[in-house]
Amino acid sequence: MDKINRRQFICCSAALLATPLSAQAFWPFSDKNAIASGATDIQGEIFKGDAPETLWKWSREGYHYGKLERKRVMCALCPNRCLLSPGDRSVCRSRVNIDGKLYSLAYGNPCSANVDPVEKKPLYHFKPRAKVFSIAATGCNFRCLNCQNWEISQVRPEDVRHYDLFPAQVVAETQRTGSEAIAYTYSEAVTFFEYMIDTARLSRKQGIDNLLISNGYINRKPLLELCKVLDGANINLKSFDDAIYRKLNGGRLEPVLNTFKTLHAQGVHFEMTNLLVPGYVDNEDMAKRMCQWILKNLGPNYPLHFLRFFPKYKLNRLPPTPISTLVRFRELAINEGIRYVYLGNVHTHEGNNTYCHNCKELLIERQGYFIPVFNMNGNRCKFCKTVIPGVWRDEKKL
Amino acid sequence: MSKNEGAVLAVVVATGISSVVTQLLTIREFLAQFQGNEFVIALIFFNWLILGGIGTLLSRVITKRSFGGTWRPTVNRLAWLSLILAALTPLQILAIRFFKNFFFTHGVSVGFYPTLAYSFSLIMPYGLLLGFVLPYSLYVIRNETPDYPGARLYITDNLGDVVGGALFSFVLVFLLSPLKAVFAANLPLLIAAWRLFPARQRLQPGVICGLGFTLVLLAAGIYWERASLKPQTGKSAYYNESRYGRITVHQDHEQFTLFVDGSPLFSNQNIVRAEEAIHYPMAQLSANARPQRILLISAQAGMLTQLQKYHPQQADYVELDPEVARIQFHYGLLQKIPGLNIIHQDGRAYLSQQAHSRSGHKPLYDAIIINLPEPETFQMNRFFTDRFFQLAKRHLAPDGIVSFSMSGFDNYLAEPQRQKISSLYNTAAAYFKHILLLPGQEIIFLCRNQPLNTDIPELLEQKGITTEYIRSYYYGNLTTDRIQYLNGLIDPDTPVNRDLSPYLMRLMFSQWFAKFGTSPVSFIIALAVLLTFYLMRISKEEFVLFTTGAMTMGSEILVIFAFQIFFGYIYFQIGIIVTLFLSGLLPGAWIGDRLKRQGQFVLVLTDILLILFLGIFIVAVLFGGDRLPPAAFLGFGFMTALVCGCQFPAALCLRGDDNPAASRAFSADLLGAAMGALCVSAVLIPYLGLVWTTVVLISIKIVSLTVIGSKSWIK
Repeated sequence: MDKINRRQFICCSAALLATPLSAQAFWPFSDKNAIASGATDIQGEIFKGDAPETLWKWSREGYHYGKLERKRVMCALCPNRCLLSPGDRSVCRSRVNIDGKLYSLAYGNPCSANVDPVEKKPLYHFKPRAKVFSIAATGCNFRCLNCQNWEISQVRPEDVRHYDLFPAQVVAETQRTGSEAIAYTYSEAVTFFEYMIDTARLSRKQGIDNLLISNGYINRKPLLELCKVLDGANINLKSFDDAIYRKLNGGRLEPVLNTFKTLHAQGVHFEMTNLLVPGYVDNEDMAKRMCQWILKNLGPNYPLHFLRFFPKYKLNRLPPTPISTLVRFRELAINEGIRYVYLGNVHTHEGNNTYCHNCKELLIERQGYFIPVFNMNGNRCKFCKTVIPGVWRDEKKL
Repeated sequence: MSKNEGAVLAVVVATGISSVVTQLLTIREFLAQFQGNEFVIALIFFNWLILGGIGTLLSRVITKRSFGGTWRPTVNRLAWLSLILAALTPLQILAIRFFKNFFFTHGVSVGFYPTLAYSFSLIMPYGLLLGFVLPYSLYVIRNETPDYPGARLYITDNLGDVVGGALFSFVLVFLLSPLKAVFAANLPLLIAAWRLFPARQRLQPGVICGLGFTLVLLAAGIYWERASLKPQTGKSAYYNESRYGRITVHQDHEQFTLFVDGSPLFSNQNIVRAEEAIHYPMAQLSANARPQRILLISAQAGMLTQLQKYHPQQADYVELDPEVARIQFHYGLLQKIPGLNIIHQDGRAYLSQQAHSRSGHKPLYDAIIINLPEPETFQMNRFFTDRFFQLAKRHLAPDGIVSFSMSGFDNYLAEPQRQKISSLYNTAAAYFKHILLLPGQEIIFLCRNQPLNTDIPELLEQKGITTEYIRSYYYGNLTTDRIQYLNGLIDPDTPVNRDLSPYLMRLMFSQWFAKFGTSPVSFIIALAVLLTFYLMRISKEEFVLFTTGAMTMGSEILVIFAFQIFFGYIYFQIGIIVTLFLSGLLPGAWIGDRLKRQGQFVLVLTDILLILFLGIFIVAVLFGGDRLPPAAFLGFGFMTALVCGCQFPAALCLRGDDNPAASRAFSADLLGAAMGALCVSAVLIPYLGLVWTTVVLISIKIVSLTVIGSKSWIK
């Protein structure tokens, strides 16, 4: 048999070394981290040259934007601060630069209009059993991978069937349907700001409440303007981690936290929702930090809803959140000091009910949208007379 | 036979076995990692074949230039290439799993272009090398036997493919997990490659190390099998590869979720789907009588428990994959109820058989509840067509009800989805007087010849049936306005979905592209440019082989699709069709080799025969259908493949059977097959239907016939 030569020795050694090395290459199999996978930031981009040639009936010049040199404009509505040259369209797809002016193309043309129970928003501390006229125009400043309304949030206003409902007609429709409030919801209400605020101003004069259901991604100035006509809000705190915000939603955490602070400072009642996406948001340490931030900056009185995740849209290869995880997070938040913590997308669970934070008695039992037990007098607990935070009907109207 | 010919041919057979097993496993792996619609399946097939074709072309370029003798064909180099090929197989499977979570966010489904790029990149090393090895083997033999016929190697390769296909479909898939199957399928290749080394080298350290390293890699694949499938959250409570796909049960605390091919299907904590699917149709039945027979075509977690509230005398539960049913019962997703009859069969085939039962007794059902995924594949589309609804109606009691669902919407029904439900509505409307659509997590279709009532809670109240979700949420979620809005959106002009013209699949593709905000137009343009460039550079014989490759693959898909329509998804018979297609090429190539001296005549005759066969296929599909015996489809598959097989040796002989001609012929066949797979599955059948797709194939062959007859061909 031939003797082994130097070249063969080197080849053999390399081959043998390659085995453990290749094994090493696959060690990540046993140490996986969902947050480390895939793109780190899915923030949307502006659409160059995508604006229509001319305006349409449902256009309105933007209320918050700055004019720059060479007919460029900067939208000042949300933290995306889209810098648009003539002919460009914003990240949210609703706003365009036409000849040096910023226009919203989502004014008076909601693609969705329904009457919903207020509990569906979810708003549990806002006039229980109220019927809410809910509208949405297209557009969103986020790119959530699990968006449940992607058919309207990730399209242009021109791409959908829509109603012809200008503010006055919205108010009239609200009254016709016997609704107590108007909710700006489903897609992202911030992107149809002009439509929303004009409608809200009008409806307030008619004694109709205004509810903002939003991701809270809005700049302080327009928000302050909006707060003057808002009666309640549900803001989706998608996670308490900026990396997850960028990865799953294409947004940033800090501006959303600022929105909470502003709403709190302006005395607007709001509730928070937090969707527990398995592998991303179902992190107890993160939930603790979130609760601590809430307590420190907002206090214990704002209701917090932990929502159960279901596979949706592009994020459809994950299991749903186990109910026990939601229950555990609810207990965690209560133990941290938040007084009203609810479960969402979980049926017939005590986590849907409201208990007095003082005497712990059952105040409101919720079976879906039914409220078989209601133990409040106005805004007070029927048992211990403690004031329950929220917006409640007068005792006489109950 | 020359000194090394036997050893090289053994390697070719072993490569055939290994490559077909790897191909099937790779497709399954991609389906498990990505969304498994027909477009994705076609795309992966396309990538596989196109890379093989490019590899084959490269073999000619590389060996021609030889690069200082490095690539000069020798048995030694072929043996090393074979070892590398074997070593790449487990790496390819593992890479598909590993890099998915590296390049894509965990838990997301992936759109068209990322799927194209990802599958192309990961298949590339193996695909190119595989395509390279076949002509390279020929060159090696021709070093000793210069006039060795290329057709013989083609036959040998086909033999390996047939064995590999049969081995996987009828043995490995039942016995082994993917990486174990890879190990088993590559053992012959390892042995053949080792035997290919000259006797004095076989025990040299380099060879032993190379062999050992490959073996270690293959074995390591088995070791990494479970680790590579470990979920990122919770734990994997169960994992199995059934013949139909990958089944895993994911456990997160007390929740069990059944995943099939990577998609979460059912969870033990989702009461909503179970209540909607059962009570919406069952509530419509008379409150005074106990239902006699209920048919569930597939079932989701909790459904049988909900069904039991009606105390049916008999509940027939039909599930195609026995493993899915077994696991659902095992993990408590489904509970056995009195009168339950579990049938492991294709739901449509079951109904069809009942209609033709010899006893003449045709069972009538009070409710047929269909719980199947969306019609994203040919297999699923069959449950949402006019003929299926006709079949279902024949098995329905006079006041019975049929229900099924499509994905729901929250607040706006997008246009592709509107068309989808309109098409379904119009399809069902031909057989049922009353159709009601109820919105929700899913849009539930209720079809009946008696009036339908939208007040489900009231109907349940009358029956004394309690529910959790419906009782508490129905009136809030399903307001009269919402129900009217949905039903008012139906477009009566939307075409109906037919077996032979699957309009719904077209809409599913549109919806899929809309979801990811992409369009295949850029891809189509790029492909058309490349194809034009390629076609302008090939000889007419290569063109014939190109069209034959497309035709073979296209008619294989047509036959499988037609068979499923008429006889149901029967695993073994479809496996036999595929095997027959592969094995038909063998005698065809043998006959072609015998007749190759009359090359022109053979090409003309075979093209005429293929046109004739396809014409007969149209007649059979239109007028025969399920009245024909299944063997007719098997026979068609075999004969078509046989005729296609004849063409390769004849074309090769006409072209001049030298090395460049052989590699170009191999690549023309593969590239044609790639185009056939993509165009027929993803474009022609969904957009033109079965009959017109066959007409297109006929016209391609007419063009081919014209080209053979022409004296010149653009070079």
